Amino acid sequence: MSALVVRTRRRLLVTVLVLTWLVTLGVAGAQDRELDPRVFEIGRELRCPTCVSESVSESNAAIAREMRVLIQEQLDQGASRAEVLAFFQDRYGDWILQNPPMRGMNLLVWLLPVLVLLVAVVVVMRMVRRWRAAADERIDVDPTDLDRVRAELQGPLGEGAGR
Amino acid sequence: MSRLRRLLPVVATVAGLTALFMFGLLRGSPDRDIPSNFLGRAVPDFDLPVLERYMAEFGPRMTLDDVRGRPLVINFWASWCGPCYEEAPHLQRAFERFGDEVLFIGIQTQDRDGRAAGRAFVDRFGLTFPNLFDADSRTSIAYGLFGVPETFFVHADGTLQHKFAGPVTTTILEEQIGALRR
Repeated sequence: MSALVVRTRRRLLVTVLVLTWLVTLGVAGAQDRELDPRVFEIGRELRCPTCVSESVSESNAAIAREMRVLIQEQLDQGASRAEVLAFFQDRYGDWILQNPPMRGMNLLVWLLPVLVLLVAVVVVMRMVRRWRAAADERIDVDPTDLDRVRAELQGPLGEGAGR
Repeated sequence: MSRLRRLLPVVATVAGLTALFMFGLLRGSPDRDIPSNFLGRAVPDFDLPVLERYMAEFGPRMTLDDVRGRPLVINFWASWCGPCYEEAPHLQRAFERFGDEVLFIGIQTQDRDGRAAGRAFVDRFGLTFPNLFDADSRTSIAYGLFGVPETFFVHADGTLQHKFAGPVTTTILEEQIGALRR
């Protein structure tokens, strides 16, 4: 095989490799097109419909990726954050919002933690008051028992301990 | 007695939490029970390519406008979805029975496996009602889909009567189609 043929083949191989790399780069770019940081800000406020406990920004599910592109398109058309959120809320209802509006049953989500905290504070305060009252209470002790304990405490160290 | 009284709140709390835990375990998938936000409202329009098998009869694309004026059963499915295989024979049987009065449309969505897998799916069950392909899942977003399968029962005026999440059965189809025909 002549040196020319070898060189030509090597050049061809390099060209094919570079082209493949460029095409791969292009495909990857198309799948994850450059998105405005605002897309992720808004996406964080939306739940991914097919995931568990993930927002549209965090999820790698195909539907979440498509929703991010959709948000980008709406922002490109001049939509505001509120308008984008309203678009998804119109289709999915309040469920889609990470921070559901304070109305109806949703109020429970906001009020229940406060209520539980209040109840917990009241319970702890009552318990502390009861403990304090118990600590202040005089305890009647049999004088003979008291004398015995005092004697044992004053005695040589360890004398009463082994019994 | 006083010891029992002291224990009562603890027992009640544990019982309450256990009941809540069991309720959470046994209620199934909670997101599935969420009613569609389109209930009583017009469902969104779509413009989707028709799978090859149906092109001769329905043309290359289909929109909601093309079929307005008739009650509709719109079923969203994907080739990777197990329950979709379960419900497909029920849908075909219901279509054979009610197809003259109610239009059935299948929409393949949230499906990266694409048209080839969709073609295999409709061939496997011999589905004779038109099936469309929602390549970018935009129609599924427009309809507020949580997953597949989901089936929308739409009145002739385009408003949504009911959305069913999960595999439909003959009983559910009969019930809902009965209500659509009334």
